[in-house]
Amino acid sequence: MTGTLKPDDQQGSDRRKFLGNASRLAMVAGLAGGYGGFTAIALRYLYPSSTDDRVWQLVTDVAQVKVGESIRYRGPSGETINITRQNRNGDSDDFIALSSTCPHLGCQVRWEAQNNRFFCPCHNGVFDPSGVATGGPPGEAGQSLSRYPLKVEGGLLHIAVPPPRFSAADAQGEIVTAAEEISGPGHDPCLQCGPRRHRGDAGVREI
Amino acid sequence: MDLVRSWVGERLPVSGRQFKELTNEPVPYHLKRWWFALGGTPAYLFIVQIFTGILLAFYYEPSPATAYQSVEFITREVAFGWFIRSVHKWAATLMIAAVILHQIRVFFTGAYRRPREINWFVGMCLLLCTLLTGFTGYSLVFEQLSFWGATVGANIADTTPLVGGFLKNMMLAGPSYNQATLSRFFILHAAVLPVTIVLLIAAHITIIRLQGVTEFQFKSEEGATPKTFNFFPDHLYTELIIGLLLMILLSALATIFPATMGPQANPLQTPEVIKPEWFFYVAFRWLKLFGGTVAVLSMGFIIFTMFAWPLIDGWIRRHTKFQEASVWVGVFGALAVISLTVWEAVARH
Repeated sequence: MTGTLKPDDQQGSDRRKFLGNASRLAMVAGLAGGYGGFTAIALRYLYPSSTDDRVWQLVTDVAQVKVGESIRYRGPSGETINITRQNRNGDSDDFIALSSTCPHLGCQVRWEAQNNRFFCPCHNGVFDPSGVATGGPPGEAGQSLSRYPLKVEGGLLHIAVPPPRFSAADAQGEIVTAAEEISGPGHDPCLQCGPRRHRGDAGVREI
Repeated sequence: MDLVRSWVGERLPVSGRQFKELTNEPVPYHLKRWWFALGGTPAYLFIVQIFTGILLAFYYEPSPATAYQSVEFITREVAFGWFIRSVHKWAATLMIAAVILHQIRVFFTGAYRRPREINWFVGMCLLLCTLLTGFTGYSLVFEQLSFWGATVGANIADTTPLVGGFLKNMMLAGPSYNQATLSRFFILHAAVLPVTIVLLIAAHITIIRLQGVTEFQFKSEEGATPKTFNFFPDHLYTELIIGLLLMILLSALATIFPATMGPQANPLQTPEVIKPEWFFYVAFRWLKLFGGTVAVLSMGFIIFTMFAWPLIDGWIRRHTKFQEASVWVGVFGALAVISLTVWEAVARH
């Protein structure tokens, strides 16, 4: 077929082919770059930004918590924390504040004073008073309950927690009473029995 | 490869060639001129609005206590939040401008004439829905302009005889701006109006495909120039290039002139200077000129006339010798709109 074309035509045809392919490539590159870039921006926008900011929040009067007792506290952005008193010196070292969210699958752990341990009802996770896992799936995986800084000022206990989210800018942390249920994120607090039968039955003194 | 093709072919019994024939509407040659792409431009910008709007809705919270804070959160704290919001704002501005330019083009080329009257009606509905979406959109930011714009808008509706009170109550979910008003605007802006616009665009395009695009021949194209070219791939490529150029323009505008935040809505204090968005300048100036019921009724009459124009123009062309009356009406209308808009833009009160 090409034998019938004159050399000039052949050259012109090659040039056209090259220009056609080059413009097609430019189009694909432009589309991929433009919309690909925008998709990347959209994904970055949707992924929540993490912040290391902490704010000090008042928890309670130090004298309100007896040694060996634990109170439950909910921070302004919703995280739940067990604050346990271990000594009677009157300073912040008396207390330990540990996340009440089990690092295994997100259930709520509770303080068992009689056993001197934190216990997770979902998969029998066990943690010692300093939050280190000693049994159950978190024990096997070597996970611990995360710890929050505390300070005592004028006999009042304060805790450093993440600040509230924008829409609840005025939110304050609060102590959770026994009548309230803390729902843990992500996982049913009890796989068999439903949360209600567990309310306040674990020997925890809740204010 | 053949196995995949036969698997898909059995389940989706449309061959590539059939699909090409289905979509391969011959496009009149005059569409190679760029200003005839003004219909595709608002459609493209509408897609940008849906995309960025969904992204904004992930963080926006429509209640008086949280709306302003959530917009501020999007603008100041979320990664690229300022960019998404600014693109949304600029695409809205360009979309309204493109819709108006498209309508002007259709008007002056007489493309609304028989048998295309119904598509003009659909287009008018699209114009009104676009303006309403703009209005409800800037109400959501809950800055001073949002609050007082909505209040003034509702009270304008209130001056309509007979149905005014009903309209105002429906708009504000009560006799005045209250806790439930914002969620009403949000649902209108993010669900009711976009769905209506999608349905109207579908009708708009279906009618174009059924009737074919109006054909023009320019003097320079007489003779050898082919009458039509293929939708696929030629016209599609044109649209893709326009899409990319619009993205560049939007990104540039969003970066150079990002969306700002005015002071938060304060129901106790009306600002010294209060103006709506630019696309309502003309209506705002009209209200200042004629006031209350007269202004509302005359605006209603003008909108009705715009709707009915293909029929009115048809009657004039059949029964009088003024064959080009529409040109003069159009020139007069455009000048009136432009001068009222400029007047409102430069006037302080």
